[in-house]
Amino acid sequence: MFIKAAEEKEIAPGGMKAFVLDGHELVLCNYGGTFYAVERACGHAKARLERGALTGWILTCPLHYAQFDIRTGEALSGPAPKAPDNKHPNPSDPALSTKGLKTWPVKAEGGFIYIDLQ
Amino acid sequence: MNRQARKAALRFLFTPIVDRLGYKFTPVEEDADFLLEQEAELEAQTGIPYCPCQARTKDRAENMKIVCPCIPFHRAHYDAMRRCWCGLFVHKDVTDPDKLKQIPESKIGK
Repeated sequence: MFIKAAEEKEIAPGGMKAFVLDGHELVLCNYGGTFYAVERACGHAKARLERGALTGWILTCPLHYAQFDIRTGEALSGPAPKAPDNKHPNPSDPALSTKGLKTWPVKAEGGFIYIDLQ
Repeated sequence: MNRQARKAALRFLFTPIVDRLGYKFTPVEEDADFLLEQEAELEAQTGIPYCPCQARTKDRAENMKIVCPCIPFHRAHYDAMRRCWCGLFVHKDVTDPDKLKQIPESKIGK
């Protein structure tokens, strides 16, 4: 069942906005006038993805730059490796790798965006 | 990670960057696909899409100069060849990349 999530004008093309809908944390993305809904947390370190960058259909995580296809949720690349001499754990350690994002069907109608959370 | 999806993403991300530099992907699709495949493999191994045709050193700052698209770091050299070193990118007006040759940087202008 589709639930009204936002007004279309709230998210400009190339923009993102986070919502909590029915207990689900998700990010709505506007790619060229088409809206996509993906889960909000990166599977690597739970970074909030709406704080990343949306380049066309590619969403880049703000924390370690893993990239995702917002159309399918697929992880396109994993977290970037640590720089030499960095004391923090290596983000690209296979044990810490990210996963694809959950996606939900979205439709835009009458100026509003609806998401099917089923 | 899906290799085909990553190659499509690299192509999508690189296109507007090289366009502003006066370059385009090589029109030889087989070559472009092969080189992107190698870059995606290097990225999977190292986290960084290095040029597949240039050797890395132990100097990270130097290695950053061969992260694709590396045109800005080798502008005079590549402009003289009308292609980048590996041939993934060629000048916008190039229609037959097979006629372009790799010329060592040391021989440019001689």
